[in-house]
Amino acid sequence: MSGDLATSPVGSWARPIAARVLPRLAEPLAAVMIAFVLGGLLVLLLGYNPLLVYATLLRGSLIGWPNVLATLQMMSPLLFTGLAVSLSLRAGLINVGAEGQMLIGGLCAGVVGYAVRLPAPLAAPTCLVAAMLGGALWAALPAWLRVSYSVSELVVCLMMNPIAKLLTSYLATRPLKAPGPTNKLPDISAAAGLTNFSIFAQVNTGLLIGLLLCGAFAVVNLRTRPGLEWKLMGLNARFAHYSGIQVRRRAVAIMLISGAVAGLAGAEQVLGEYHAFYDSFSPGYGFDGIAVAMLAKLNPIGVIFAAFLFGALNSGGDVLQMLTGVDKDLVRVLQFIIVLVLSARPSWRWYKAWREASRP
Amino acid sequence: MKGVLRPGEILALVGENGAGKSTLMNILYGLLPRDSGEISIDGRLVQFSGASEAIRAGVGMVPQHLKLGRSFSVAENIVLGAEPVDALGRLDRQAARRETSAISHRFGFGLDPDVSVGSLPVGSQQKVEILKALYREARILILDEPTAVLTPIETRALFATIRRLAESGRSVIFITHKLREVLAVSDRIAVMRQGRVVAQIDNAGVDAGALAALMIERDLAPARNRGAPRPAGRSLLAVEGLCCLGERGETAIDGLSLQARAGEIVGVAGVQGNGQDELAQCIAGLRHPVRGMVAIDGQQVAGGPRERRRAGLAYIPADRQGLGLSLGSPLWENMLAGHPGRFGKAGFLDLPAARRWAASLIQQHDIRGADPDKPAGSLSGGNAQKVQLARELSRDVCVVVAEQPSQGVDVGAVEAIHRTLVALRDEGRAVLVISSDLDEIFAICDRILVMYRGRIAADRRREETDIDEIGRFIGGVFASHPETQDGVEATHVG
Amino acid sequence: MNLHALLLAAIRLSTPLLFAAMGGALTYQAGMLNIALDGFMIVAAFFGVATAAATGSLALAVIAAVVSAILLAALLATFNLRLNADIFIAGIAVTFLSYGLTGLLLKNLLGQEGVFAPPAIPRFTPIRLPLVEEIPLLGSLLSGQTILVYAAFLSVPVVAWSLYRTRWGLRVRMVGAAPDAAEAAGIRVGRIKAQTMLLSGLFCGLGGVYLSLGYLSLFAREMTGERGLIALAAIFFARGRPFRTAAAVLMFGCMSALAVELPQVTTIAPELLQLVPYLAAVAALGVIGARNVRGRDRHAAWRFEIE
Repeated sequence: MSGDLATSPVGSWARPIAARVLPRLAEPLAAVMIAFVLGGLLVLLLGYNPLLVYATLLRGSLIGWPNVLATLQMMSPLLFTGLAVSLSLRAGLINVGAEGQMLIGGLCAGVVGYAVRLPAPLAAPTCLVAAMLGGALWAALPAWLRVSYSVSELVVCLMMNPIAKLLTSYLATRPLKAPGPTNKLPDISAAAGLTNFSIFAQVNTGLLIGLLLCGAFAVVNLRTRPGLEWKLMGLNARFAHYSGIQVRRRAVAIMLISGAVAGLAGAEQVLGEYHAFYDSFSPGYGFDGIAVAMLAKLNPIGVIFAAFLFGALNSGGDVLQMLTGVDKDLVRVLQFIIVLVLSARPSWRWYKAWREASRP
Repeated sequence: MKGVLRPGEILALVGENGAGKSTLMNILYGLLPRDSGEISIDGRLVQFSGASEAIRAGVGMVPQHLKLGRSFSVAENIVLGAEPVDALGRLDRQAARRETSAISHRFGFGLDPDVSVGSLPVGSQQKVEILKALYREARILILDEPTAVLTPIETRALFATIRRLAESGRSVIFITHKLREVLAVSDRIAVMRQGRVVAQIDNAGVDAGALAALMIERDLAPARNRGAPRPAGRSLLAVEGLCCLGERGETAIDGLSLQARAGEIVGVAGVQGNGQDELAQCIAGLRHPVRGMVAIDGQQVAGGPRERRRAGLAYIPADRQGLGLSLGSPLWENMLAGHPGRFGKAGFLDLPAARRWAASLIQQHDIRGADPDKPAGSLSGGNAQKVQLARELSRDVCVVVAEQPSQGVDVGAVEAIHRTLVALRDEGRAVLVISSDLDEIFAICDRILVMYRGRIAADRRREETDIDEIGRFIGGVFASHPETQDGVEATHVG
Repeated sequence: MNLHALLLAAIRLSTPLLFAAMGGALTYQAGMLNIALDGFMIVAAFFGVATAAATGSLALAVIAAVVSAILLAALLATFNLRLNADIFIAGIAVTFLSYGLTGLLLKNLLGQEGVFAPPAIPRFTPIRLPLVEEIPLLGSLLSGQTILVYAAFLSVPVVAWSLYRTRWGLRVRMVGAAPDAAEAAGIRVGRIKAQTMLLSGLFCGLGGVYLSLGYLSLFAREMTGERGLIALAAIFFARGRPFRTAAAVLMFGCMSALAVELPQVTTIAPELLQLVPYLAAVAALGVIGARNVRGRDRHAAWRFEIE
């Protein structure tokens, strides 16, 4: 588009990308900086050296193969939940039920994984499909209530999270429990598992699936009719309706898709990491997904980077806790300072002007 | 602009849409800031930065769209903001009830203080609004288009109230476009046009026709845009017996029928608020009528905007920002939105082709300062309008409904837009122009309808009428009663 | 199954819920959905027990708890009302921020792993009401509770009174139901909303300090469980009306108590009982939504926005 500036083969494609991408990075970067500064202050008040803390986080997440693997492992579920939340937010629907959808999806994968014996090529994909169906099912109720009765899908999703947690907890510790004193379902068949990459960490093909999914949705968002319609719905639902877009149908569709993707997060954990459905396997991946989506500014490719950042912070946090004694909850604090900062939409004149200027 | 109001006087403020009446009153009530000039009350200069200050200075406003808490009682609504409290700081409900009843009786309203506002008819709700202002001891009362939602009986009661208020020494400013009312109840009349008061006269022996002329006085734009009128073809848009409700549940359209034929431009004139919005929405599929039907090219249409578009309807809304465009989206997205399945196949979009097409449309319609990637929000009013036209008219359409096409558009762009509409007519389409701008109506329309209180009050060919007559119809001044399609007074929607 | 023990448990479990629900009801009436109730409570729980351990004074502990919750509420109010942040996203952020912060401080300020249970910590003394004690069945339940419990139950009529019998309460309700009417009457809508938000911080502060000091003296990570959500469910169920909300809360509290006691008697799993509040809330939302839609049908302009 701005090809008249091209002076080199690299410049011809790098420049337009830079022109489009860099301004959009400003806000997330600013939020991350603010979070790190505030976190640093906090750490200082607690008697630690902020530079040491951040250096440890960096080392623990990115330096050394085991650490990188741990980062990728932590990143995997976030790819799915982040993508799920960002897809729905982009269409104007606030799906905070990713946590519940993930649990139900994981449950379905776990059940199909051990109950249904299938030959190797079919086993894992079947479980994945089961997970998607489970997640979509869990998102169906909020979706239906929203399009039929204008009930806030956010509130319904909020309520469905604990319902999912309690339900799966009950099933995993009672009726479907594996024999013996445990809180999990029986192990899935070997054929149903997602294979690992390395013996150092549980990084499995789920990561690949997540990356591919993000890439696929990036294409869908930019280059397909439904992707455009979802974007327009998110920007101005009245305009979308007036333009002939079937808003209700698209809304239900995106919620179901969002639920299905969140369900895959559960599948990744169950099939890839633990090879069984464990009660309470999620330390809040569904809610972290909201943070990922916000930082990614709802862009699927951004989700990859945001998930990587948060994955790095989480794995770095483990190391931080081991080496310095600073609790890894610091990472959670940083994460949600970022979300809080990004949630602001001030009407300050300079801010509005800056946003206008940085629009691609 | 300049104006003077004396105590105990009823001043009617008249003018068409956009003359500035509501803006002026909002400034007076502190809801809008002013750029220059002075307002003085009782000889003192005042500057309001909020409603509470205006209220304290004795100004009360009864807005056109009532602002009431429907699930609250009459008393609660009235005392809000100046609630009586007892020694413990408790809301003194007894006192509230008492004072509400007292003030209600004093002005002959007889409202029950404990009834919930939502259960009252609109006329009574308006009384609650008036009492609100009186309770705060307003000495200057502003009524913004008060009769818009009232039945004739309620209107008469309102006039009696206004007279009573004036007799008690209060001043009333009464904004309206209905000339008969002006003559019936006001002491003086101020006519506004384009932000200025162009006349202040006493209401003594004034003729409605003269008033109408003052309100709309202008030179008729030469009808050079129009070209020769041709015999109209078949009916492409037919609306029959339409009845529908507005946002607040009031009757907005009351048994309305109209037709637009191939090769003609039909204009619907009238001050906004007489049901034009709802009419456009019903035709476009954005609102469900209670009764009646809409047919496009002989086929009755149901469903939403998607079905109407497929049937060949192009609707260009007045609300560009909220409805007609996606401000945050680039132009090519805006243009592509109304064209399902056009560029690309199997769900995929051919973006370069779409962009090129958008660029060509921009060229074609002379949309200044735009390229396909610029967000729609960055365009001026005229260019935004052109974008809408470009998008809608690049489809196969047989009926075009244009709502306030030249609102917020600069003069040069207006010409282009009018030329486009006339060209559509010449190609054999039917065009319905809903506009409160009489210049526009007279410049391009072949037939002129006047919409008044949800019905068609007049249906004239352009050559058979003049601006005075139309002005009278707009002001609600009819020879006998409003004409309807079948000449019989339609009943209200039950 | 000991009915007495069951009711005592119900009272104990309902107390923090009542506080949170009253705070949430106030913001609900002002038109704001406060989903950060858990966040407010957890910081209050933390700073309450930390202060009590450090100073040995219950009074200071309560003050510290309430102040910390109010500060958090002020943060949310600032982001929502001044910086125009979406209240849900900001609320979620504040909640998880609080979880993380308290977890961090637990480890790095108090030096504890997982649970902080200081040995020598002041406890609330049970208050004996001599006449009340005599009442045959309820006497032992009504008398002998600690002050926070009485405060929780008393807060219900207090909130109801302030909403329906004071001028401030009328303004709050009008701001929630018809903000344009409130504005036109000269009421400062933003200020009223901020006030309800800060009050919800106050109430959650009391609820939080009860969690960590009122019954057992301990703090554990994320110990609010999902109480804030249950309180919210009760608020939805009862449309924010104080007494009905309290009734819903007590019902949920009894369910929780049953969840603890019943497994010893029957085989119904506690998890299934704990489901009830959330199922009730979803059902209530559905019913209310359906009722709204029917009313709009006659003249509906097509809608996709939430009312």
